[in-house]
Amino acid sequence: MKSWTRREFGRSTGAMVLAGLGPRLAASESKARVVVVGGGIGGATAAKYLAASARTIEITLVEPNPNYTTCFFSNLYLAGLCSLESLTHGYKTLAQRYGINVIHDSVAAVDPVAKTVGLKSGPKLPYDRVVVAPGIAFNYGALAGYDEAATQVIPHAWNAGLQTQLLRRQLESMEDGGVFVLVAPPNPFRCPPAPYERASLVAYYFKQHKPRSRILILDAKDSFNAQDLFLDAWERHYRGMIEWLPAQFTGGIKAIDVKERSVKTASETFKAAVANVIPPQMAGQFAQQNGLVDQSGWCPIDPITFESKLQPGIHVVGDASSAGDMPKSAFVANSQAKACAFAIAAALTGSERKSPHLFNTCYTFLSPDDAVSNAISFKPAAGTIKIVDNFVSQVQESAETRHRAAREAQSWYTAFTRDTFGYAAF
Amino acid sequence: MIAVSVAAGFLMILADRGQAADRDDGAKLAAMCTSCHRLDGGDGSIPTILGMSPEMLTRAMLAYRSRERPSHIMRAVTLSLSDEEIVIVARYLAALNKQVRP
Ligand SMILES: Cc1cc2nc3c(=O)[nH]c(=O)nc-3n(C[C@H](O)[C@H](O)[C@H](O)COP(=O)(O)OP(=O)(O)OC[C@H]3O[C@@H](n4cnc5c(N)ncnc54)[C@H](O)[C@@H]3O)c2cc1C
Repeated sequence: MKSWTRREFGRSTGAMVLAGLGPRLAASESKARVVVVGGGIGGATAAKYLAASARTIEITLVEPNPNYTTCFFSNLYLAGLCSLESLTHGYKTLAQRYGINVIHDSVAAVDPVAKTVGLKSGPKLPYDRVVVAPGIAFNYGALAGYDEAATQVIPHAWNAGLQTQLLRRQLESMEDGGVFVLVAPPNPFRCPPAPYERASLVAYYFKQHKPRSRILILDAKDSFNAQDLFLDAWERHYRGMIEWLPAQFTGGIKAIDVKERSVKTASETFKAAVANVIPPQMAGQFAQQNGLVDQSGWCPIDPITFESKLQPGIHVVGDASSAGDMPKSAFVANSQAKACAFAIAAALTGSERKSPHLFNTCYTFLSPDDAVSNAISFKPAAGTIKIVDNFVSQVQESAETRHRAAREAQSWYTAFTRDTFGYAAF
Repeated sequence: MIAVSVAAGFLMILADRGQAADRDDGAKLAAMCTSCHRLDGGDGSIPTILGMSPEMLTRAMLAYRSRERPSHIMRAVTLSLSDEEIVIVARYLAALNKQVRP
């Protein structure tokens, strides 16, 4: 299956960084096998950096979808500022340049005794290590009236693709003067600033096309990430358009009436022209069904290698992992995946293991040319992962600083998706 | 000026580290950079890390760390790196650049 030659690899600048990585096994030794479950941000990055770390490891990436659409920047798509195609990435480079065996299928189960991963279509793949990166699942039971079928009428749009498209269509066909009701989830959930970024960018869209419309955020929480930055921006850009109701005000969200398109809270029922319900979350279904989660609903991991604390030989990266202070973001998934790939390569080739450098950088749009950013570094400590430094944009920044951050964010998107999927012109 | 001599000092300290160790550690550290920086020079609004000497790169990173150059993202990154790691990654990126430039 491997089409990756030294010459081919060396041709690319980007690949050069990787070409320097990792020790090699002697040619005579048999190849170790790693199976990666899920070709999202965590899985694709892990597969790519494993391929680069040790050419003697055979890597199989299993992902049901032929393409991946990023959640990051999908709020810009909702605002009509980019196409869904521009957020969609394939697996060709990972297969062709990095020699990763990409299989479009679902993983049904992992058998830690036989050390095989069973595909939905039947075959069982033997492994030495597994990397699991299935992302999130929705805890539908927690919200009366909202289940998987309901997502076809009231989208969550918390996985990008068809759901995001459905929400965009509903916003487009909404009449001017309607109320967009956004239900924000309890902690922890995928991408802490994203519901509020979504409110900001939908408000931007309304301001251009449906200026009499309003946004109501019904929150399961009493406060949210970077609240001061959002409240300031809503006042400056969208005065009177966005109302945020914390749980202490409504008494909490009780039920969703799909037929009526309304949200029932302890105090009142709110009717929507368009509703967007982001349900409570937990680790992806695959993790739930394969003994990888604890009572929190997420996967406990070793903070250095990302090996599951429940199932040896199986590593969990990305949103599904319970990684101390690390938020559930694409940047974190990518950062964890690299640390995990280096640790697995070290274990399988018997080389030295280094403590990982773990980061999060997050760009958030308040309007198309007003963006803020956040940078956090982390380190493994006392069996978990702790924040070392945390820097956030300030409320009083100049318009120029914010404009620059918005431009930087666009460049970041390209660099980051290339880093993950190897979309490399280089 | 202080930053320049500090950078030169680090480079000398590191002179006797094995080349293979440098390359391996450098590549792992550089993997951190590529989450934001492209390696084909087409970075757009994010400053490029190509085309600089190891001294220049080291100096730039030290300036981010001391806040002499403002960027809260680069400050978080550089604060989490040791002096030695800054030099290793700077050297790695500079060597990489030499290798790939026409
Ligand atoms: C609106 C929104 C905006 C966001 N903005 C940002 C941002 O600006 N910056 C940022 O860093 N993050 C952002 N995020 C968060 C980011 O999208 C996630 O944190 C990231 O996608 C997590 O990566 P992952 O690999 O854990 O999961 P995913 O990227 O969801 O990948 C999981 C993959 O696993 C596959 N899979 C699942 N089960 C199986 C199985 N059994 N077999 C095989 N494959 C399987 C799925 O098909 C999927 O491709 C945003 C999220 C949202 C919703």
